[in-house]
Amino acid sequence: MIPGGQSLVSSPPVFSHDGKKLLVCTGCTVSIFSTSTGMKIMELEGGHTDRVTSVVVVPVAAPSSKFISYCWTSSIDGTICYWDFSVPELIKKVKVQLPIHSMVIPNISCTPIGSSEKTSNHYAFISVEDPTISADENKAFRGQIQIYNLTKSRRVRGLLAETRKPELLSVSKNGEFLGITNKRKLDIWKIPSNDFRIEEIKKIKLHHTKKLTALAFHPKLRMVAGGDVTGRILMWIGFGRRKFSGDSQATNKKKNLTDEEKPGVRNNDDADSCSTWHWHPSEIKFLSFSSDGAYLYSGGKEGVIVVWQIDTGKKKFKPRLGSPLLYFTESPDPSLSCVTCADNHIHLLKMPTMEITKSIAGIKLPFSYPVGHKGLCTQVAYDETAGLIAVLTEDYCVQFFSLFDNHEVSQVQVCKRNFQPVDDVTLYVALVSVSLDGSLMGTVDVKIPEDGLGGLVSLKFWMRGSRIAEYSLSTVIYEPHSDAEISSLAFRPGHCMAVTSSFGGDFKIWIHNLGIKLNDQLHQKTGWRCQSVGSYKGRPMTAAAFSADGSVLAIAAESVVTLWDPDSNVLVAVIGDTHSPITSLSFIGNSEYLVSLTGGSTPQLAVLSTSKLRLSWSYKLVAEALSSSRDTSQFSVLVLLNSQCGIEKENGVILLFDVEDPVPVATWMVKKAKGGSLAFVPANPSFDEIKAMDGEKPSLLVYVNGDHEYIIFDPHNMDNRIGKSSRTSQIALEEAGMFGYASIYGDLSNLNPKQDQVPEITFAPSERPWETIFNGSSHALPPLTKLCSTFLASLIEKKPSMNE
Amino acid sequence: MADESKPFFPVESAHHVKPPPPRRAQSLTPESRFWRSFRHSELASGLILPVTALEFSPVAPYHVAAACSAAVHLFDGAASPSLAPLPHSPLSGFSDVAYSPSFRCDGALLAAGGESGLVQVFRVDKAGPPLRRLRAHARPVRVVRYPRVADKIHLFSGGDDALLAYWDVPSEAQVVSFPGAHRDYIRAGSASPTSPEVFATGSYDHTVKLWDVRVPPGSNLLLGFSHGDPVESVLFLPSGGLLATAGGNVVKIWDIISGGKLTHTIESHNKTVTALCLGRIKNESPSDDGGEPRLLSVSIDGYMKSFDFATFKITHSMRYPAQLLSVGFSPSGNARLVGTSDGVIYMGMKKTKKQEEANGTNAASELDGFIPEPEKQVLRPTNYRYFHRGKSEKPQDTDYVIPRAAKVKLAEHDKLLKKFWHKEALVVALSKKSASSVVAVMEELVARKKLLKCVANLDVDELRLLLRFLHKNATSPRHARFLMGLTKKVLEMRADDIQSNNNLRIYVRNLKRMIAEEIQIQRSLQEIQGMISPLLVIAGR
Repeated sequence: MIPGGQSLVSSPPVFSHDGKKLLVCTGCTVSIFSTSTGMKIMELEGGHTDRVTSVVVVPVAAPSSKFISYCWTSSIDGTICYWDFSVPELIKKVKVQLPIHSMVIPNISCTPIGSSEKTSNHYAFISVEDPTISADENKAFRGQIQIYNLTKSRRVRGLLAETRKPELLSVSKNGEFLGITNKRKLDIWKIPSNDFRIEEIKKIKLHHTKKLTALAFHPKLRMVAGGDVTGRILMWIGFGRRKFSGDSQATNKKKNLTDEEKPGVRNNDDADSCSTWHWHPSEIKFLSFSSDGAYLYSGGKEGVIVVWQIDTGKKKFKPRLGSPLLYFTESPDPSLSCVTCADNHIHLLKMPTMEITKSIAGIKLPFSYPVGHKGLCTQVAYDETAGLIAVLTEDYCVQFFSLFDNHEVSQVQVCKRNFQPVDDVTLYVALVSVSLDGSLMGTVDVKIPEDGLGGLVSLKFWMRGSRIAEYSLSTVIYEPHSDAEISSLAFRPGHCMAVTSSFGGDFKIWIHNLGIKLNDQLHQKTGWRCQSVGSYKGRPMTAAAFSADGSVLAIAAESVVTLWDPDSNVLVAVIGDTHSPITSLSFIGNSEYLVSLTGGSTPQLAVLSTSKLRLSWSYKLVAEALSSSRDTSQFSVLVLLNSQCGIEKENGVILLFDVEDPVPVATWMVKKAKGGSLAFVPANPSFDEIKAMDGEKPSLLVYVNGDHEYIIFDPHNMDNRIGKSSRTSQIALEEAGMFGYASIYGDLSNLNPKQDQVPEITFAPSERPWETIFNGSSHALPPLTKLCSTFLASLIEKKPSMNE
Repeated sequence: MADESKPFFPVESAHHVKPPPPRRAQSLTPESRFWRSFRHSELASGLILPVTALEFSPVAPYHVAAACSAAVHLFDGAASPSLAPLPHSPLSGFSDVAYSPSFRCDGALLAAGGESGLVQVFRVDKAGPPLRRLRAHARPVRVVRYPRVADKIHLFSGGDDALLAYWDVPSEAQVVSFPGAHRDYIRAGSASPTSPEVFATGSYDHTVKLWDVRVPPGSNLLLGFSHGDPVESVLFLPSGGLLATAGGNVVKIWDIISGGKLTHTIESHNKTVTALCLGRIKNESPSDDGGEPRLLSVSIDGYMKSFDFATFKITHSMRYPAQLLSVGFSPSGNARLVGTSDGVIYMGMKKTKKQEEANGTNAASELDGFIPEPEKQVLRPTNYRYFHRGKSEKPQDTDYVIPRAAKVKLAEHDKLLKKFWHKEALVVALSKKSASSVVAVMEELVARKKLLKCVANLDVDELRLLLRFLHKNATSPRHARFLMGLTKKVLEMRADDIQSNNNLRIYVRNLKRMIAEEIQIQRSLQEIQGMISPLLVIAGR
């Protein structure tokens, strides 16, 4: 079982103290990427069981202790872990019990490791959520800020603050101040150097008229910047002179100042002055001062990093990052920093010029289609031979993502247009389809008309270049079905042929003609052209599929399935009659069966026999996705469970059927099934040994959920490697036979939850660590002294088992 | 490290037909760089009649002899920057057309044949009547060759009477003669570069024969093989073991040591190959061996090709605007001549390096014993150039050059669209009069949902521009679908403004007329369709 596609952008990434590694929170693990190559080096796993929310790297003082690399991580599961991330190794685990949403350790930089000073206690400020208070209560304070003594694993008594929801904590670079944005004000605390008692900690508030969303402390000066929802940046200079100085004499002096001498400061706040900058049209997501304190970086939804020169207020821009921005992180190396984008990308920037040197690319997230889009909402296609998933993205690209390696392979720009994250969606890529061998790709992009003017549907055919997932544009066909939108696009296996079906009531078969030899000169007339057009009673064509050998073309004409000979374009047969339009069609392997999904008010999953030309069996199911295996007669369906079950609506079930038998072969419960998809992929070569051992069919099932996280598992493997309901439970599905329909809604709730594990668990740790500890790139390999102890320890464990 | 962020995409009409991608300039090989380093000019253009042969003298200063009409033109190889006729040129002691000039190995004498069958020997250094006249041929003599090594008293000649004669020049007597050496005109000959007594001839009877005059009479013919086409040119390659023959479209390389085995065939010309000669390419680095040898071939098709016979590859090809008959390459390597059928001699002179000249002057001044110290002017802030010093400094080899990022050139409307000045962008595009860019801007505005707002905001002058554009382009098939809809919208939205303005009313009247015309066209097209479709149906049966 291979999980993948985790979000890289759930929380801000952190650089290691030498700037050569980047620690990124990926689900319940922390992945460490090399900043020079952008590749993943290692993963901190096994410590947390839920989403990791923050990472704090322990700084080092002496150059002799360069190899020491420790970090603290906090997670929603209520634990704080201490790691040595050069090995990687979990050293210590502190249980807090409450879900931690943010953690900072302000005084960590005061007592770095390796300094001769006696290490004092480490105090962590954590922002936790109190699950006992329900969110429905009005004015409930669910968020709390607590202080935790990490050295003694003991909570400091008292609460620092209570907020409506857990807030993101930010701390100044020297660990002097801690701040949060609390509605229309900033709350700032001065952190004491050694005495951590709640009542000793002083607090000031800085007021504003709009909701504040981001704040940053100046690394040297007593200056704080706050960003609000309207895109304004406020800079308070000299905050807290009155209260934090602690000197009553100074306080008296400051009181003499009148309000006119504190320009821009509201409510007699404790600051010398406040100035406002405004460029961003929408909410500010991050603010960050450069390490020398001369510049301020800000960014938001419009995807532009703005660099403000603090002295003059002059601006510089880094545009076209292609997505809303989330976080900006500076590294200890002044020429390197990184920006996190909402499309699951982290760009490493070369600093003064802000050139993107490397991108750490996660799988791009799904986007919402504009209103009025018809057709199936799966935004993915699979290149099954190469083990790639093709994901449609919001910025008019198709991203190819390697399922087994869990990294991006390439991106193909479908429409040449500059993407503005702020604008309404007026142009989108509606469909993508990849041929079976991956050599051809077809995309459909739709431009929405403005008041009935200027709409355009274009169909594009792409040819693969020399490398995997490198496609070049071959042919563009504008308005292939005049005005009508395209409902599906399918390639014929083994041929250069494709079919598009449209809601306008016809389908077209496209062929690729190669260069024609004329008068000894090769005419470069390669391209795709329409070979034939077909229609059935003028009904909208809603789905299309080719059989595995490519001899039969099945087109769903609203409620019936029509079978055609693709070469001569002759209607061969008509099968079935459903009540609602068919949304998806698929041939099952090499068998004579065809499976169709129907949406609408009377959802149905139907298996049709092409030899007998009739319905074989069917279920009344709300199916989201459908995939059939190439070489067996099995197929799997992703079924949405709706609220009748009493379970959350997002949940779903994957059913694996054999075509002859209406009783499912296997069942899995999954989360976030809405917008999910399924595919059978052949096993990667690296898994061949498992297959050879088992002697089973080397076909794995991929489930991609609505957030584009995916999991690959072997549907035939009966051992306990994956959570799977056993065959004996029978799942109480009533056999529908060839005539009846059955509902399974009531039955599924009987499933034993112990057996139906959600397949989102991590790997079992290998008992042979020497196979992995020496793996990895040489620059990332930890020092031998560290490896040696691990290696020897593993040998010691090994011996007693050998004696047995 | 390249910036991996996305480039800026300028707006583009969806139906815009892209021009084909520009031909990628091939990166020059050192070889083609060498051949391109010649400066081209016409050496002689008033000759009118074909230049049948070009011959370089084997010794410095490498004079050139060109046979054209009834004269042999001599050019001074020492003249700079280009060749110049010698004062006594042309040698005009011919009663009819002159053929095949050949320099003696010391460059002092020149022999040439002629249409009259007479072979004449001239002095090269000064004018005068021919020194010797060799009479034996009854028909035109097209081949006269001095041996290439060490032999100053013999030469051989071949003529259209198929007679091959080996002459003792001082006595004007034939040493050996081979009547009926070939069964057709002898048109090509070459002396061996290694032995003075061996030579090869080629004839229109397709054969190439190799002769040796040392052996007793009767067994002089060493070797004979068939080229397959009438032989136009024969050339020994420098080793003396390989022979290149040209005839028809092909050049063949033969190994004569192994008894005339064909080693390679070059089929790179489209028409008859007329002449061959040897060239050398010199690399930029000064090396003493004179560079790699190349075989140059010229053809009626106007191409000169350079062939590397070490690797058997065509390394360079040049085109001339005429049929080429002869080619010559200076042994010094700095001049290349090509003679054409219309009497033009194209000359390529190697550009002399300025550095060498500079060295020459320096050497001279050193000889004078006084080296003037170059006066270095110290720039002061009073001088204007003081503020520009160092700006045009060239980077040295050791310097690390940081290239400035290429500036992206954007059209005016793209710049305005970047600033979200939508109406201004539309007006700028409209005033530029390029239909495809206007449509591109309009489509982009549709994608931003701003087109109708722009139309609503146009003032009268700008509306006039828009109406004029619509009048011109609304029925063009490529954009009609979009623009007709837009026209309708514009007229609906701005009806009041149009009614109140006389000028605009004229435009609308024009539009109306144009649409009436278009409807007429459509109607007649439908008529034609109606006529054709029954025919097609019948044909389909």
